[in-house]
Amino acid sequence: MNQRSSQIRTVVSGLIPFVFLVIMILYLFGPGSNLLKFGIALPEITIEKVEFFDSEIHATVRNTGPIPVKIAMADVNDRIQPAAIEPDKSLERFETALVRIPFSWNKAEPYTIGITLDDGLRFDKFIEAASPAIKSDYNLAGFFAIIGTYVGIIPVMIGLLWLPFIKRIGKNKYNFFLALTVGLLVFLGIDAMQEGFEVSQKNLSINFNGGLLIATITLLSFLGLYYSAEKLTSRTKLSIDSKPLAIGLMIAIGIGLHNLGEGLAIGAAVGLGQVALTTFLIVGFALHNTTEGLAIASPIAKTKSPISKIIILGLIAGAPAILGTWIGGFFYSPYTAIVFLSIGAGAIFQVALVILKWLYQSEQKLVQASIVSGIGVGMLIMYLTSILV
Amino acid sequence: MILILSALVGISITVVFPTLTEAQLEKKTFVTHSGQVIQTSGDVLDPLSASSTVEFDPQKFLRDFNYGRISESKTGQTIRDFTIIAEDDKIQEISPGVFYNVWTFNGTVPGPTIRATEGDLVRIHFINNGSKSHTMHFHGIHKAEMDGVFEIVGPGGGQFTYEFEAGPVGVHPYHCHVMPLEEHISHGLYGVFIVDPKEGRPAADEMVMVLNGFDTDFDTDNNFYAANTIPFYYQHHPIQIKTNKLIRIYVVNMVEFDPINNFHLHGNLFHYYPTGTDTVPSTFTDMITLSQTERGIMEFQYSYPGKYLFHAHKVEFSEKGWTGLFLVQNPEDSLVD
Repeated sequence: MNQRSSQIRTVVSGLIPFVFLVIMILYLFGPGSNLLKFGIALPEITIEKVEFFDSEIHATVRNTGPIPVKIAMADVNDRIQPAAIEPDKSLERFETALVRIPFSWNKAEPYTIGITLDDGLRFDKFIEAASPAIKSDYNLAGFFAIIGTYVGIIPVMIGLLWLPFIKRIGKNKYNFFLALTVGLLVFLGIDAMQEGFEVSQKNLSINFNGGLLIATITLLSFLGLYYSAEKLTSRTKLSIDSKPLAIGLMIAIGIGLHNLGEGLAIGAAVGLGQVALTTFLIVGFALHNTTEGLAIASPIAKTKSPISKIIILGLIAGAPAILGTWIGGFFYSPYTAIVFLSIGAGAIFQVALVILKWLYQSEQKLVQASIVSGIGVGMLIMYLTSILV
Repeated sequence: MILILSALVGISITVVFPTLTEAQLEKKTFVTHSGQVIQTSGDVLDPLSASSTVEFDPQKFLRDFNYGRISESKTGQTIRDFTIIAEDDKIQEISPGVFYNVWTFNGTVPGPTIRATEGDLVRIHFINNGSKSHTMHFHGIHKAEMDGVFEIVGPGGGQFTYEFEAGPVGVHPYHCHVMPLEEHISHGLYGVFIVDPKEGRPAADEMVMVLNGFDTDFDTDNNFYAANTIPFYYQHHPIQIKTNKLIRIYVVNMVEFDPINNFHLHGNLFHYYPTGTDTVPSTFTDMITLSQTERGIMEFQYSYPGKYLFHAHKVEFSEKGWTGLFLVQNPEDSLVD
């Protein structure tokens, strides 16, 4: 009985600050709202997406400012056009609407889409080259699947073919390749974050705090995966043989998330008509991603892993690229892209740390020629192949 | 587990954020440039054909001339007294759905069209009810202390009486001349001053067109252009005129930021009198170019009934509102005078 009342007391004492917080917020919004009326709240909208349909341009706008806004007018290349806005022209905070501008646009020409608010402020978005909005059909899904296969699955599988080679080499050289993997991964992690920052700068309103979103999701993903991996490896009393496979699996998952992000970027670029996907670009991605296969191959090289398991690892790492192109192409939102890229970055950093720990456990020191040079060479390889993309 | 959880969080965030638009039942329609009819379940954003909701009435302003309170001096000179009040706190709808802080003479942009005959004594009783200093500077011939440049009229009820003999004959602008000048002019403190010759001009259907613009986002670039303030107004409210009737337009360019403006008339040519100071037209054309405060008188008549465009042939300006229509009717056909 006594114990229960003390429990209740604990709960109540934990809730009291919340009650006061609620009271303060209610006061500030209610009777106290005049206290804070200084400064001028400026309206802001963000044009998140522009699509080109049959003699119609669609712009998705979001109210990203601190106050509700009314949309008054649309223009194309700074020339006023009659337009429609659905569902209606009043936008609450964070609400979106679709602006339909009938306009016979020309393929591959640049356009600036402008939206004017009721106070005369104009916001615009520049599109480098108009290209027909993709129609979500099976053909396109198939086309994306092929791109995803070329960019994700095939390169990773090719990379895994280094497995027999790594099996044959001595311990020092093996350590070199493990360290190389660390270098590759660190590079990929930074790459994913950088891409996230780019998306956030180009397409996400400042109000969403893109930078902090990336930092938060990356760290959450890193901590979450690190914690669950530790639990996984310690609980199941793994044999020496199965631990490398677990690490291989973790790498595969991390790289899979990264490839999901990469697929998102490709799909979105196609979907938004920002790039013509050239063969060169695909080759670049493929070369770049071959190194990812190597990253999976290194830790599992010294174990006898059945071919089927290795193929599964390759699929885990590569196949998400296809999923990514689908999501990116059909349901693109800058927010999605950043979230997935950040999860990928956190996953990759976690794997890099696990390999380093693993190396440290077997070598008792990390500062040695094979490891240091491995990390360096890994990053260099990635940098050089990244130029191709 | 945490991987699944983070993926779930990621997916749910991305699903929740793009708010799904709900379809409404009633459909609205609007017509595009090319005549296409578009249906929408939402709102129409269309300053081109929207029946205007704005307070200022360009149709009324077009043929509205203010001759003042007329009296006669001992010497027989006609005296015209005008009261002009400046304000700078009005928010007016200057295009459907777009609200802008206009600075006004007698509550409108442009201010009232002041009209006198050459040699009349013009007395402008100017009251500044604004929150900033303002003046009235008339283009024309007058004494230095009547120039409205150095005699700053203070805010909150400051007063000044401008007194001068109307002249020379022609069409002239007046505007506030307080620094920063561009700001005072572009907010709307300007109007037209017409000086008629003593012998008068031939009878005509007379109208005033002030070519102006608004920089609503303050980037020193106009967002809207118009003849008489409201973009596209005379396109959806065509100016009705009669065949074989002399039309006289007093046109004044008050556009800021852009070095030039112009006026092109369709299906016709007009005689043009620069500044209106001469009785002999300088040119017979369908296109004139006007720099800041450049102005003149256009005279023309239509032989054939129908709809005729007039607009800036700087097409950017016409696509931002400086365009309109004359609806020319045979006198016997027209129902409305």
